[in-house]
Amino acid sequence: MVSDILIWLLIVPLIASLAAVLARWLRGAVGSVLETVHMLSVVIVLALVLVVAGYVLVYGEVTALNQWLRVDAMGAIFVVIVGLVGFLAGLYSIGYTRHDIEIGQMDRNQLTTYYSLFHFFFFTMLLAVTSNNIIIMWVAIEATTLSSAFLVGLYGTRPALEAAWKYVVICTVGVAFGLYGTILVYSDAVNVLPESSMASLWSEIVQYAGALDPTLLKLAFVFVLIGFGTKAGIFPMYTWLPDTYSEAPSPVSAMLSGVLVNCTLFVVIRFSIIVNLSLGPTFTQTLFLIFGVLSLGTAVFFMLGQRDINRLLAYSSPENIGLILVAFGLGGPLGVPAGFLQLINHSLVKSMMFFLSGNVLMKYRSRSLDVVKGLMQAAPVTAVFLLGGAFALVGVPPFNIFLSKFMIVSAGMATGRVWLMTGCLLLLMLAFVAMFRMLGTVVQGQKPDNISKGETGWTTLAPIMILMALVLALGLSMPAPLVSLLNGATQVVNVGVPTAQATASGLTAGSLFAPLGLANSGSVVPLFRVQVP
Amino acid sequence: MLNANVINTLSGLLLLTSLLVIETRKPRQSAMFYSLQSLILVLIFVALATLMNAPQLYWWAASAFVTKAVLVPLILYRALAKVDENTTSLSTVSTPVSLLLVAVAVAVSYTVVSQIQLKAAAVFIPALAISVAHFFFGQICIVTHRNLFKQILGFCLMENGSHLTLALLAFRAPELVEVGIATDAVFAVIVLVLLAGQIYKSLHTLDSAELKVLKG
Repeated sequence: MVSDILIWLLIVPLIASLAAVLARWLRGAVGSVLETVHMLSVVIVLALVLVVAGYVLVYGEVTALNQWLRVDAMGAIFVVIVGLVGFLAGLYSIGYTRHDIEIGQMDRNQLTTYYSLFHFFFFTMLLAVTSNNIIIMWVAIEATTLSSAFLVGLYGTRPALEAAWKYVVICTVGVAFGLYGTILVYSDAVNVLPESSMASLWSEIVQYAGALDPTLLKLAFVFVLIGFGTKAGIFPMYTWLPDTYSEAPSPVSAMLSGVLVNCTLFVVIRFSIIVNLSLGPTFTQTLFLIFGVLSLGTAVFFMLGQRDINRLLAYSSPENIGLILVAFGLGGPLGVPAGFLQLINHSLVKSMMFFLSGNVLMKYRSRSLDVVKGLMQAAPVTAVFLLGGAFALVGVPPFNIFLSKFMIVSAGMATGRVWLMTGCLLLLMLAFVAMFRMLGTVVQGQKPDNISKGETGWTTLAPIMILMALVLALGLSMPAPLVSLLNGATQVVNVGVPTAQATASGLTAGSLFAPLGLANSGSVVPLFRVQVP
Repeated sequence: MLNANVINTLSGLLLLTSLLVIETRKPRQSAMFYSLQSLILVLIFVALATLMNAPQLYWWAASAFVTKAVLVPLILYRALAKVDENTTSLSTVSTPVSLLLVAVAVAVSYTVVSQIQLKAAAVFIPALAISVAHFFFGQICIVTHRNLFKQILGFCLMENGSHLTLALLAFRAPELVEVGIATDAVFAVIVLVLLAGQIYKSLHTLDSAELKVLKG
């Protein structure tokens, strides 16, 4: 039964987490036991997410536990991202933690803590994107903060503890806003739905969205956007990002930036669908555009002043999330698939960049641009991938982000927002300058004498190579299953949105994105029957 | 005779206890006042259960008593027993400014809440406004205090506000929903307390202003 697979998807990382806790009491070398359990878990989860996605492609959705768990086309995109990046971060963790043990930065207890929390964090993210229950979505997002707080502060140094405190306080307060928004929607739904026991199910609420109180929904969505937006790195609450990403172990930074932000965006998008069905899309799209432009606009200026590789990459997250919000703000059959594609592409590239930054840290024991020089001499393979990754991140062809950025700009032009798109392009150019200022310092020049030549090992290079292959492949062609999922996800988001709304200039998704296989996005098929009792 | 005025009056007492939590200098005393506030919240749940004929709210009351009136204050109290509270009793604003902020939060909350047209909540508008205001009281507590434990108590106030809103607007919600939220909140407090303890042990401070290595 495929519903069992959905349940096992959540159970497997939980078992791995528990096993890692129990490993603390094992005698002798604990590393190999931990690594075996760890790799088994991430490999099984990857296999399960692919099965779930395949089932969604054929049958449209998977549900389990009386619909408390539900994966549709939109959910499948997020589930695959969590499974794939989780697997690669898991693989990267092997080499990274071995190195930390070798140089004495991590002891046996920290290693068991790392692996147990890694898998619990993994579980909470999978729960967030598979949950159909809006209260459980909140519980899962809150649990992501609690499970990752000690991963951020793992090294126990002053900066690490400081980063962990800021992370947990800002995000807990932020997500409390999200709880309030969730409660407001749920409270209204309880009074509207014929069966109050179904009022927490997102798929049920959308069917009765037209009967919900519009004022309450507006208030709730503002709470949801600000609250969950705090964890997604949306303006103005993204100040925790640079501190957290720079102090957490690199695989954790990769998970935070490449996966966690998506999980919270998933929740925001789910709520926006409810609001759109009640109020029409203008309210949520206007908020997405405002917060998107503000996130993008402020983050690029912070990027320009950074002297630490991870802090620079951290500020690049709100820049990219801002762009994703702009895409959803443009909405309709053009903006929505562009937003989803940018979301996928950003996850792959950003996690790769944090792995590369981890390799740099292992090599130089620093991420400061004042220390890291001459990488091409010290570790040429890492240097070449870093160059490629930076090109990909700023959106240079033939890498994947070029394609999604092109789609977003095209969607903007098609909806007549020429000035907005021009402004976004100018801001993206500043991000380009910041990224290549960093590369110029890191890659070129003479390596310090105390830095030996050589790469960091295959376990830390293999995940980067896999990601680079994916980044290039998605830049050159779109696999048919991905196109189907994007089309399906677009239909989920655009349910009830008039197709003409996004095609003011006469362009359609079909005419714009036909070469990518997204021609079907133009015809929106409602997936839900909207009832007003 | 039990009526909506009882709920609204008890909510007024929540406001008073929040002021005490925010303004009391010693975090340990704040934790006691938080426990008192949680007891009032429990009474509100019991009153609501009787008034609205919603028996599941008795379970809410029981779980709120265990988690909020006993467990969370106990965790905070025990953790605070291990630290020198005199290192930080730091408020960044004076009491009059703090009171002004609280008054503004109540006024804004009342204005917003009175625009919501929900039949179920019509008689509880003052209580609902206070529950929304609690959300802002929590933030005022976090922003105006540098003591890490006072910041944790700020989060607890926010959480009490959310809990009361849920009870007022969705008192027929299954117990599982309430238990999920309450459990998560307790875990949040445990994680925050453990982290604050680790910071105190390593850095010998509870002053958030001293956590300023990372900037820019």
